[in-house]
Amino acid sequence: MYKRSLTVCACLLVVALVAGCGGGSNETNVPPAPGGGAAAGGATFDMSKANATVSGKISFEGTPPPNDKIQMSADPYCAQRAAQNPTTETVKVSDGGLENVIIFVSSGLAAGAAYATPAAIEINQENCHYIPHVFTMMTNQPLKVKNSDMTLHNIHAWAEKNPQFNVGQPVKDMVSETKFAKPEVPLPVRCDVHKWMGAFIGVFDHPFHTVSKSGGSFELKVPPGNYEITAWHEKFGTKTMMVQVGDNDKKEVNFSFSANDKGTAD
Amino acid sequence: MSREVADAGLRPSPFAVSEAEGVGLHRFALFTTACTAFLIFVGGLVTSTESGLSVPDWPTTYGWNMFTFPLSKWVGGIFYEHTHRILASFVGFLTIVLTVWTYFGEKRVWMRWLSAAALSTVILQGVLGGMTVLFLLPSPISTLHACLAQAFFCLVIAIAVFTSPRWKRGVPFTGSYNETSSVPALCAATTAAVYVELILGALMRHTAAGLAIPDFPLALGHIIPPFTSNKVIIHFAHRVGAVVVTTMIVWTFVRVARSYSRHFLLFRPALTMMALLGIQLVLGATTVWSAKSTIPTTAHVLTGALLLGTAFLLTLRSYAMLTRKPGNCRGAL
Repeated sequence: MYKRSLTVCACLLVVALVAGCGGGSNETNVPPAPGGGAAAGGATFDMSKANATVSGKISFEGTPPPNDKIQMSADPYCAQRAAQNPTTETVKVSDGGLENVIIFVSSGLAAGAAYATPAAIEINQENCHYIPHVFTMMTNQPLKVKNSDMTLHNIHAWAEKNPQFNVGQPVKDMVSETKFAKPEVPLPVRCDVHKWMGAFIGVFDHPFHTVSKSGGSFELKVPPGNYEITAWHEKFGTKTMMVQVGDNDKKEVNFSFSANDKGTAD
Repeated sequence: MSREVADAGLRPSPFAVSEAEGVGLHRFALFTTACTAFLIFVGGLVTSTESGLSVPDWPTTYGWNMFTFPLSKWVGGIFYEHTHRILASFVGFLTIVLTVWTYFGEKRVWMRWLSAAALSTVILQGVLGGMTVLFLLPSPISTLHACLAQAFFCLVIAIAVFTSPRWKRGVPFTGSYNETSSVPALCAATTAAVYVELILGALMRHTAAGLAIPDFPLALGHIIPPFTSNKVIIHFAHRVGAVVVTTMIVWTFVRVARSYSRHFLLFRPALTMMALLGIQLVLGATTVWSAKSTIPTTAHVLTGALLLGTAFLLTLRSYAMLTRKPGNCRGAL
């Protein structure tokens, strides 16, 4: 009887082991690529008609709140590089200007216009950080996700309007490619292995968007028209302003955020 | 005839065994129970550290066979998630052995069915665990995964109880032959209340409603909070459930202490339940006050499981000891 038991146990163990087996490979699947190809229907918008300039500064009033310190001890590889990025990049203020703010045309564009899909954009995982931390792209524009680290990362898109995905990149220099079919702002990306790693993407169905740079400056090229311009920050939320521009016009639009403003992070 | 059976004036159980016989299976069932409790704790850690999706594939781990995934790569959230998977596989293996052992070593047919139920549950639990990963932690599946874990815990506790030599010898009847005790029904109701409370807790965790009411003992500054969202409703339901469970446990303890304080088989789990309740209430409050800090939150999950297990054990014993059955043989339940 005990021999029989032993044989049955051994058989079940083998079944269990086989169930847990993979290919033994260190490659992962590419992320899903939802949606179709380039913008469809009608003539593609001539970008030379976007000759008006909307520029300005995202100011920050008061003392910026300190960013959270990053505890990287959970991964020795990251811990060795902790000095390069000791805190999160949530609030980045230089010369009184707030960086990493997504500025975009939120209304006023001609309905049904089709825009050419730009070339692929890349987000890199380097020293256990996403570079860039905030960026914008168009729907159906290829997004390349690269792992430049000698450690594993997973890219987890916490999308609400687009399908979520979660893909592992266990090998250095591995590149995965995806795209988003629907506009979504913000579309958070994070690494569940390293809790501090997070990035935000603005996905638009038009090309009139940008991210504030050093000193909080930004510039948008738009066609003549009357627009609502929106500025979004991960901690301080959203602000909007109206602007009217003519042919080759230049208008300045300035936004101001303060520590009292609340956004998605709170 | 054993001393307890003789003392109680009972016939020996038809499954009466020697002290040594069947002890191995009982000890193995106890070991499986302990491993399951630890597995629930590690599962709680996975949720508390938000590591559930740190390994994006299943049943593989970053493309590796999960059993050959290099130790050097168990970093960050992977450490918790992969440990949970390995431990779950181990408990699954233990359950397979337990089932086979019961099948060949048990004369009671219903015991074989019970262990088969445990095996089916652990397999379903594994599949649910995989689905939580592949479908990116959908709340219904994650909640079901958490609740089934507690049900499996009760199943292995039952196997451990039913295979114990004491149970097989025949638990002494300590009730009255003239009246039916309501204590077993009360214990069963308490166990059910604890389980419902655990379901609410799991729902709260997996819908991110743990801090929907960030203050305690008040709720959003009121005794009854404004129900502004589903998360507030779920969170408050868990708090109301805690009040109900507290009442049930205290009531059960008082009943057992009043009538059966000299019967340690009943009094001891009742007392343990009270102690666990006290710890659980403190941990629940600390979870809110610490804004879901990992250790108190996970300890709250584990203590909830232990509370359920203790209530379930008390229920089994109370039915065996306080309910009249033909032949007076409690071991033959």
